[in-house]
Formats: sequence, C-alpha cells, structure tokens
Amino acid sequence: MTENINRKAADDMEEVLRNFIVENFLPSAGLDAFENDDSFMEKGIIDSTGILELLEFIEETFNIRVEDEEVIPDNLDSLNKLKSFINRKIAKKKA
Amino acid sequence: MKFRKDILKINCKKEEEQICGFIRKQQLSMKREGAVVGLSGGIDSAVCAELCVKALGKERVFGLILPERESSPKSRKYAVKHALKMGIKTEVVDITTVLESIGTYERRDKVIREIFPEYDEQYRLKITLPPDLLSRDAFNFFTLTVDDGKGGVKSARLKKEMLNGIVAATNTKQRTRMVHLYYYAEKMNYFVCGTTNKSELMQGCFVKYGDAGVDIESIGHLYKSQVCELAEYLGVIEEIIQRTPSPDTFSFDVSDEEFYFRMPFDKLDMLLYAWENGVSYEDVCKVMGLDEEQVERAFRDFAAKHKATEYLRMLPPFL
Repeated sequence: MTENINRKAADDMEEVLRNFIVENFLPSAGLDAFENDDSFMEKGIIDSTGILELLEFIEETFNIRVEDEEVIPDNLDSLNKLKSFINRKIAKKKA
Repeated sequence: MKFRKDILKINCKKEEEQICGFIRKQQLSMKREGAVVGLSGGIDSAVCAELCVKALGKERVFGLILPERESSPKSRKYAVKHALKMGIKTEVVDITTVLESIGTYERRDKVIREIFPEYDEQYRLKITLPPDLLSRDAFNFFTLTVDDGKGGVKSARLKKEMLNGIVAATNTKQRTRMVHLYYYAEKMNYFVCGTTNKSELMQGCFVKYGDAGVDIESIGHLYKSQVCELAEYLGVIEEIIQRTPSPDTFSFDVSDEEFYFRMPFDKLDMLLYAWENGVSYEDVCKVMGLDEEQVERAFRDFAAKHKATEYLRMLPPFL
C-alpha cells in the first residue's frame, strides 16, 4: 500500500515537473519531448536563466529551499536528477 | 596545430601590422577621417587606441572618456594618463546626469530594495557568478552582493525577474556610452573603434548596441591573454597592464573573473581555444594539468554561454 502511495507521489512529481518544463521551455513540443535522463543543458532544453525559473518553481511547488551550493548539474540537470534531489530535500525536512 | 602551453603566443609585430592594415582598410572603405575610441582605463581600449594611432596617426584618433558616479576613479586617471602618453586628443564626459535622467540607478535600486529593503545610496553593489568553475561545478546563477560601507555585507541569489531588472538598468550605462561615441564620431566624420576581445565575444560578455555598438572590432580576434601580450609590446602604461580586468559597472569592485568568466584568463583562454578547435580532452588535460571532469565542466559552461548569447552576436534578421 505504502509502495503504491509512494509510486503515485513520484508519478505526480514527474508529471508536475515535466508539464512545467514543456510549458515553459518547449512550448511547441509534446510532453514526450525529452527522456527522463536527458541533460537539460546538453539538449538545449533549459539555459542558465531557465535554471533560475526552474529553481523558483521547485522551491515554491515543493516548499523546499535550494541552497547555492546545491545549484549543480548533479542535482538539477535531468528529470530523474531533479526528482531524486527534490525527494532528498523533502525527506530531510521531514526527518 | 598541436595543442601546447604557448599555443596562444602571438607574433606581436605581425599582429600589429595586420590589425593596423585592417584599421586603415576599414577607414577607407567607410570613408571616415579617423577613429573614436572609448577609453575605459582598461587594457582592451588602451590597446585599441594604440593600434589606431599606429594605423592612422595620433591626429586622427580621438579618445572619449565616459565615467559615471559608480566608475572606479582609476578608470579616468589611467585613461587620461595613457592618452597623454599616446599624444591623442581626449574629452571627458561624465554621463551620470544622463543616467540619472533615464532612471538607470533608480530602476536598478528599486529591484535591489525588493531583496534588501535597507539598501540606499551609501551601499555598494555587485553581481557575480559562482566562483572557481574548475574546482567546483555549479550552474550559472547570479548572486547580488551589497556592502553597507560599515562592514555589513549581504548576498542573495537573484531570481530571473530581478536579474533581468538589474541587468536591463545597468546595460543603459554601456548604451549611453555608445550614444556619446557616435555623437563625436559623426560630428568629426570618424568611425567608432570597438574594444571587445575574443574571449568576451565568444562568451557573450558585452552589451548589444552598448560596448558592441561600434563600426569595427579591432581586437575581436584576440583572446584576452593575447591582448595583454600586445599591450606590453605596444607600450601601454604599466598601471593599465597591471590592473585586474573588470567590467567597472558596479560600485563594489568586481573582476571579470568574478562577474562572468569564473576562472582566470590564462586558463580560460587556453580552454576556449581548445573548445573552439576541438582539441581532445586527453591533450587538454596533459598540457594544462587538469582532469577530464574539469575540462568537461569548462566546455559545458562555454557551450551554454555561447548558445545563450547567440542572439547578441546576430545582426537583426529580416525577411
């Protein structure tokens, strides 16, 4: 049961993030415009000011604070990395 | 050409001849009688002015010095001293009043007060990118730092809207200088000689129709470190040669490295060359003593900045 809830939450997060990215950075593309492991920077999906918009969005949507030293590609540069990062931040808040 | 430590070394005599030939050719093709150079007190404009003098003669070069209330006093001092050394005519026009009238400071400060409500005219400010790209990976995000002049320094990461507000207001400084340069150039039937170097052009560190609003770019093919080499050869004054490169746009001292490039020019230029010319990671690592991750990080940053600033280098398209 817990696994199902967790999976749903994860899917919701992915949907929310993917929708945001497509709406704001790939407006003429479909929701399948990129893979979960595609690098936003390398694929030209999000540029440096786009990262600022993304940061603002995830802070407000998931009620987390992204510290300056966390604004690194390892945390933010693909959908999968974003999800892992956000989940870690949320878990840390709850702990 | 094999990548090596001295790959960027130039033959200064040949370079001087080539650039002077270029300047003369452009002058003739534009049917202008001389060159106006904006003298910032920095090494790029100093070198450009020297080259214009060598190409056209000192009587045909006019130096315009355009400080504003937040410029470093060194800028005007060094520009005047170097102009005296070259024997060219100059004029100093303080653009503060113009900037005040178009709301440069007011608009910028309004944005800053959204972040730091206590900010006032006593404060100094700067914006910077994360430092030391080769040691630490980070996306390009700007941080605003303010200093109250009493030991109180605060910083905040800039959100997109705020960054845009500050940059748009600040860029009016360079665009106002362009207006003045063209006033004098057209009055005298001179052309405006740009002073942007290759490192800046490639990475988009200039203002469209600001410092890039010019008739020719005489050092646009030279990396910063090559400009420095040429400066020594041409006899630019020592104060300018030793001066840390800076945009001189903010009231709080900030170097070009802190503001935009995230690494020192000696490393930046070699890496830019390597990136531009497809040098293998292996060769770069071997010659520069870096590891592959560092090189990849630098190349990724260059690609991102180059792509994000492509529109700055474009001429206006039309149907």
